[in-house]
Amino acid sequence: MTLPDQSAVAAHLAAFESELAQAKSARDAQSVRDRYLGRKNSVVASWMQLIASAPADQKKNIGRYANELKQAVEARWAQHQESAKFLDVPAGAVDVTLPGRVPLLGHRHPLTVVRDELEEIFTRMGFTVVEGPEAEDEWHCFDALNMPAEHPARDMQDTLYLATPLKGESGESGRPDDLRTLLRTHTSSMQIRYMQAHEPPIRIVAPGRVYRRDNLDLTHSPAFSQIEALVVGEGISLADLKGTLLAFARQMFSPKARVRFRPSFFPYTEPSAEIDLSCWQCDGAGCAMCKKTGWIEMGGCGMVHPAVFEAVGYDPERYTGFAWGIGIERVAILRYQVEDIRLFYENDLRFLEQFPY
Amino acid sequence: MRLVLSWLREFVDVSAPAEEIAEKVGLRGFEVASIEKLDDGDAVIDFEITANRPDCLSVLGLAREVATVYDKPITLPSSDPRAKIALKPVTIGSSDRVKVTIDDAELCPRYAAAVADVKIGPAPAWMTARLHAAGVRPISTIVDITNYVNVEIGQPMHAFDLAKLAGPEIRVRRAKPGETIRTLDGIDRKLEADMLVIADRDRAQAIAGVMGGAASEVSASTKLVVYESAYFKPASVRRTSKRLGLKTEASSRFERGADIGAQVVALQRAIALMEQIGAGTAIGPVIDCYPQPRSPKTLHLRRDRLTRLLGVSVPDAEVVRILTRLGLRVTSTPDGWDAVAPTFRVDLLREVDLIEEVGRHYGFDRLEATFPVVTTAAPPPDPRILRDRLVRRVLTAAGLSEAVTFGFIEAKAAEPFATAGHASIAVANPLSAKFDTLRPSLLPGLVDAVAHNRRHGRSDVRLFEIGTRFAADGETRGVAVAWTGNGSGDHWSGGSREVDFFDVKGVVEQLCGVLRVPVDFQPASESYLMPGQTASLVVAGGPARGEPAGLVGQLQPAIADARGLPSKDRVYVGELNLDVLSRARVAASDATRPLPRHPSVVRDLSIVVPDTLPAAIIRGTIQSAARVLAAPLVSISFFDRYQGKGVPSGSVSVSVRLTFQADDRTLTDAEVQQSFDTILAALVRDHGAVQR
Ligand SMILES: [Zn+2]
Repeated sequence: MTLPDQSAVAAHLAAFESELAQAKSARDAQSVRDRYLGRKNSVVASWMQLIASAPADQKKNIGRYANELKQAVEARWAQHQESAKFLDVPAGAVDVTLPGRVPLLGHRHPLTVVRDELEEIFTRMGFTVVEGPEAEDEWHCFDALNMPAEHPARDMQDTLYLATPLKGESGESGRPDDLRTLLRTHTSSMQIRYMQAHEPPIRIVAPGRVYRRDNLDLTHSPAFSQIEALVVGEGISLADLKGTLLAFARQMFSPKARVRFRPSFFPYTEPSAEIDLSCWQCDGAGCAMCKKTGWIEMGGCGMVHPAVFEAVGYDPERYTGFAWGIGIERVAILRYQVEDIRLFYENDLRFLEQFPY
Repeated sequence: MRLVLSWLREFVDVSAPAEEIAEKVGLRGFEVASIEKLDDGDAVIDFEITANRPDCLSVLGLAREVATVYDKPITLPSSDPRAKIALKPVTIGSSDRVKVTIDDAELCPRYAAAVADVKIGPAPAWMTARLHAAGVRPISTIVDITNYVNVEIGQPMHAFDLAKLAGPEIRVRRAKPGETIRTLDGIDRKLEADMLVIADRDRAQAIAGVMGGAASEVSASTKLVVYESAYFKPASVRRTSKRLGLKTEASSRFERGADIGAQVVALQRAIALMEQIGAGTAIGPVIDCYPQPRSPKTLHLRRDRLTRLLGVSVPDAEVVRILTRLGLRVTSTPDGWDAVAPTFRVDLLREVDLIEEVGRHYGFDRLEATFPVVTTAAPPPDPRILRDRLVRRVLTAAGLSEAVTFGFIEAKAAEPFATAGHASIAVANPLSAKFDTLRPSLLPGLVDAVAHNRRHGRSDVRLFEIGTRFAADGETRGVAVAWTGNGSGDHWSGGSREVDFFDVKGVVEQLCGVLRVPVDFQPASESYLMPGQTASLVVAGGPARGEPAGLVGQLQPAIADARGLPSKDRVYVGELNLDVLSRARVAASDATRPLPRHPSVVRDLSIVVPDTLPAAIIRGTIQSAARVLAAPLVSISFFDRYQGKGVPSGSVSVSVRLTFQADDRTLTDAEVQQSFDTILAALVRDHGAVQR
């Protein structure tokens, strides 16, 4: 017997294919297969046996050709088996591979998907989800949050004011002097409204849209969504704030997440801090997402400033509390690796349909 | 604030490299914008300074932070002859060269000045190099000295050419009506009555705390100068700077709060530097107008409060160390400490401010993470949250995807949707005309979203949005839907058809049903919807009966066209007021109804009636006829509507399926027939119906 070579592989494969095509039944086909692949007396088996007696410098080649033929025949056989399933069908059979009538199903907006998840996590932690008005007055948006009239945040370049005021929420108070003159710059105004209406202990999250006098570009938007939390009680501490954020980060991003506070300044909290979470993609080692720092900036937080409690009539000696706020777009951008914030507001179905129902 | 490392090291003996200092100070609350290495081995760390820490807009201020981080002593400027950072010993008094008067002590509580005989020229290289590194452009000896002092200790200064001051005198007063000044940048500025100026006998020579005037600018020929070192009220400087649109190095420091204790020290430092570089000598005493000296505030810090607020027990020695290093004078009390807040720390006003200082330098990373103790059960969420989730579930299940558009839109997009009596609200200070009007309706945004998808080759677009609408009588929450293209999913078996009124109406009916709001649809006319293809929703029962709840219809093609939709597109839309639907929800019992024990009988009725007769009227006629029937009628459903062969023109054949059923017995054929006949007779009588 001549030693197997490349042309022998091709010849056997061609022969196998033609024999298989002529097979009249499944049993015929099986015997064709066995002649080539069977454990004994098949083409492949005989080639394998040659290895033992072949010259040393040929052993490797024979093994390679035998293997090549075996794989080619197996692949062709698998194809044959697949199509054989469709050959023998009962009368009136449908083509089960044609598309079904898929009921229409819409998709939640990615900002909703993120918001729902945040709400769920905090609900599990015993928080109540509340909402508030988007058109606000100066007192709720600024004064009560320890931002007196001369505070730079009230400058025209940050806040969008209304040309004519709106009435307060219908049915809420109905006071004629309850007029809304601006678009809220943060959901913190809702914290004030909630504290005015409730006594501690308080444990709320307030999601919603906020507005800034900003241009729309790759990374900025004049309207975006935030979620803020407020916890007020006796003996609430900065360590509690850290623990709450840690529990949140571990559920939302990674079970290994760590929280870092970088001291900062906000008029309505003291002490104040920026929230950094350990990067959940590299676990802090440094990657493109965290710009090689190992940390992701998440938002701001702090202990509620006593002046805020005084504004809503709480005793700052008796109660302490914490608050934090993060951008929902920010979370969505990181989670879904969205490069351009404008995608969230274009509502292109090719984008929206990538998110869950 | 660009901190030059060699400059810092004159204050604190810290040998750590720039990166380490940047990282450590960064974690104490000063974000690092950049680290820059200079050719001579020096380095510059650019820190971002938060609004509450104007003291750190200086080398000295940041040096205190670094000294606290590294627990090292700080070398303060001193009039000791061997001092590294020298102050010129001076006497305080009045000068025979210039008279200083404060007319408005509220806006300027302190004004110090010194006269000097000067030589104008370039400053030495070491000084200009430092200024360069700190980001200040060197100009000439005297100006460079004022800038150097400002960067070093954070007190902005100004120098007037004494020969150009009429009097010569300096008067700190508010601007006079119509007064103008040409500032150093060569621009003529109109002043307003509440702006503070530094004037000579005749006119304003500087805008206090913002910018000097061109008339008394120090020039190459200047022989005598008056150095100004003052404290101006922050709010006043901010207002003036904003009103004039003029932001300067000086204004940004003054508006956050300068150190009211530093005015004389700054002059002493300037004089020392002037002498050191041979640029001149002081003449006469230093003038210090400070009518009501402020004493530093003593704050009390309770140990217990500190522990409770931070959630960690900081050792006493550490508390004292931190506050002392930061420049506070600390004394022990039985329950904690008294700390004198220095005048440069304008942010230290109450106990909690000290707690922040201790926490910040003790290190937030040393806090154990704890979870707040739960003492009460969480109240239920805002009902709107649950309602909106339900609405979202219904609409996504109906095949619509959720859109999010902006709360403000361009006026011309809003205009067609601002219905009578509900003019849209304009934004007073929009940044762009694209967002200058609050949306009166969710539809303009949604229509634009449909147009966007159509432009990108999508023929079937089904969107909804839940959001806020704004009108003069308040904001409301609404839900809107928009649908164009196929009414059903495309399928190879055929059967696809274009969306029509009933697709959108069906979604709205489904939604109202899930929310348990009974509604009637009535023909309506609305300027942005097609006549004859428009219905209004009215709450049909329950607590909000009679209230209008929304609209459904085909969008006027002209509006679709104006927003860039292909003109042959039909867009069906609907918008509901969710606040009304919430009020209109009918409470339902949780108890289930028992299943019927007796069989029902179904009878189909086909009648020919005028084609203008609304189905709701036919239903009403059947319902009122059914009130007296022997066999109870439990359901009416329209299952066919036919016009064409066999039906006279102007008429329509309507088929109605009637279901009869009694709770207590099996109905007999005779009973059912009698009921059927009664219904038919009513239809014949009321509408001239003819049975087919
Ligand atoms: Zn990373």
